Amino acid sequence: MMIDVLEVQQALRARGILICFSGRLSQALIAEYGEAVKSYLETEHRPQNEVYNIFSLFIEQTQNINKYNVAKADSPHHGLLLYSSIVTIGKQEEAGYMVCSGNLILNEDAEALQTYLDSLIVMDKTELKALYKMKLKAEIAPEETGAGLGLIDMARKSSTKLEYSIVDQNNGLSFFTLKATVRGVSA
Amino acid sequence: MNPLYVESTKSTPEVRFDPAGGTLVITGQSYPENAFRFYEPLMNWLDDYLEHMKQSTVVTIELHLPYVNTSSTKCLMHLLEKLDKAFASGKKVEVRWYCDEENEAEQECAEEFKEDLQLPFAILPRGTGA
Repeated sequence: MMIDVLEVQQALRARGILICFSGRLSQALIAEYGEAVKSYLETEHRPQNEVYNIFSLFIEQTQNINKYNVAKADSPHHGLLLYSSIVTIGKQEEAGYMVCSGNLILNEDAEALQTYLDSLIVMDKTELKALYKMKLKAEIAPEETGAGLGLIDMARKSSTKLEYSIVDQNNGLSFFTLKATVRGVSA
Repeated sequence: MNPLYVESTKSTPEVRFDPAGGTLVITGQSYPENAFRFYEPLMNWLDDYLEHMKQSTVVTIELHLPYVNTSSTKCLMHLLEKLDKAFASGKKVEVRWYCDEENEAEQECAEEFKEDLQLPFAILPRGTGA
C-alpha cells in the first residue's frame, strides 16, 4: 500500500510546518535533529539571535519529553509514552516561527503540569527571570536529570505567552501540546 | 595534580583544565541528557584544585559556549560559584567569556551569569581568545 505523502505534505503546509519529527526520541536523535534545525534556519538566512532561540526552544522541548519518558520507565504505559512524541517547527506570516511539541503524559501528572504552566503564563519577563535565577542557584540533586528550568526558560525565550493544551485520551493518558514562538525581525 | 581533558561530542563541550598554567577552558555546545553527570567530574577537579593552589597563582577560566541548555546552565553556575568563593577568599581568579558579538541571545546568557558573581568577569568577542 502506498502512503499518501502528498496528503501528509499538504497537511503540514496548511499549518505552516517546515520541519516535523515524530516518534521515539533519544538524546542522540535530539542532537542530530537539533543540528538539522540549525542548518535549515541558517540556509534560510535567519538572524543568529532567532536561530539561537528556536534551537534552544527545540532542545528544551525535546529534552523535557525525553526526561519525562525516562522518569516513567516503570509505568505500564511506558511503551505508548515513548512513541508519542512529536515536535514541529513552523512559520506563520505575522506570528513568526513557532516551536510546537506534543507527547502523552499520565493523567496523574496532568494537574501538576497544568498548575505549573498556568503559574508561568501569568508571569511577566521580570518575574520569570527572578524565578529562573532562584531555581538556578538551588542545590543540584545528584539524581535529578532536569533542572526544572526548561519551562521557565521557554517562557522567557518565547515572544508570546506559552500556549498549551492537555487532552484526556480516555485510557489513563492525556496528550500534552506546548507552543512557543520566536518573532523574527522581518518575519 | 593531573590536567583534566575531556573530548567534545555533539552535545558536550571540550574541557581542558591545565593546573600548571592555571587555565581552565571549556569550548563547545552543552546540552547533554544528564548535565550533572557531565559536570560532576569538573566540579570535583575544581574543588581539589582550588584547595591546593598557591595564593600567587592566577586562575583564568575561558568559556566558549555557543549554546548551553538549562540543566548545563545550572551546573555552570555552580562551577562559577566555586570560583567566586575562591575569589572572595583572596585568590586570583578571573572569567573570560567569549561570545558572538552579533548574537544578542548568547550575550544575554553571559550577562546573566556575570550579574550574580563578584569575580572579574570579561565578556569578549569570539575569535579574540587564545
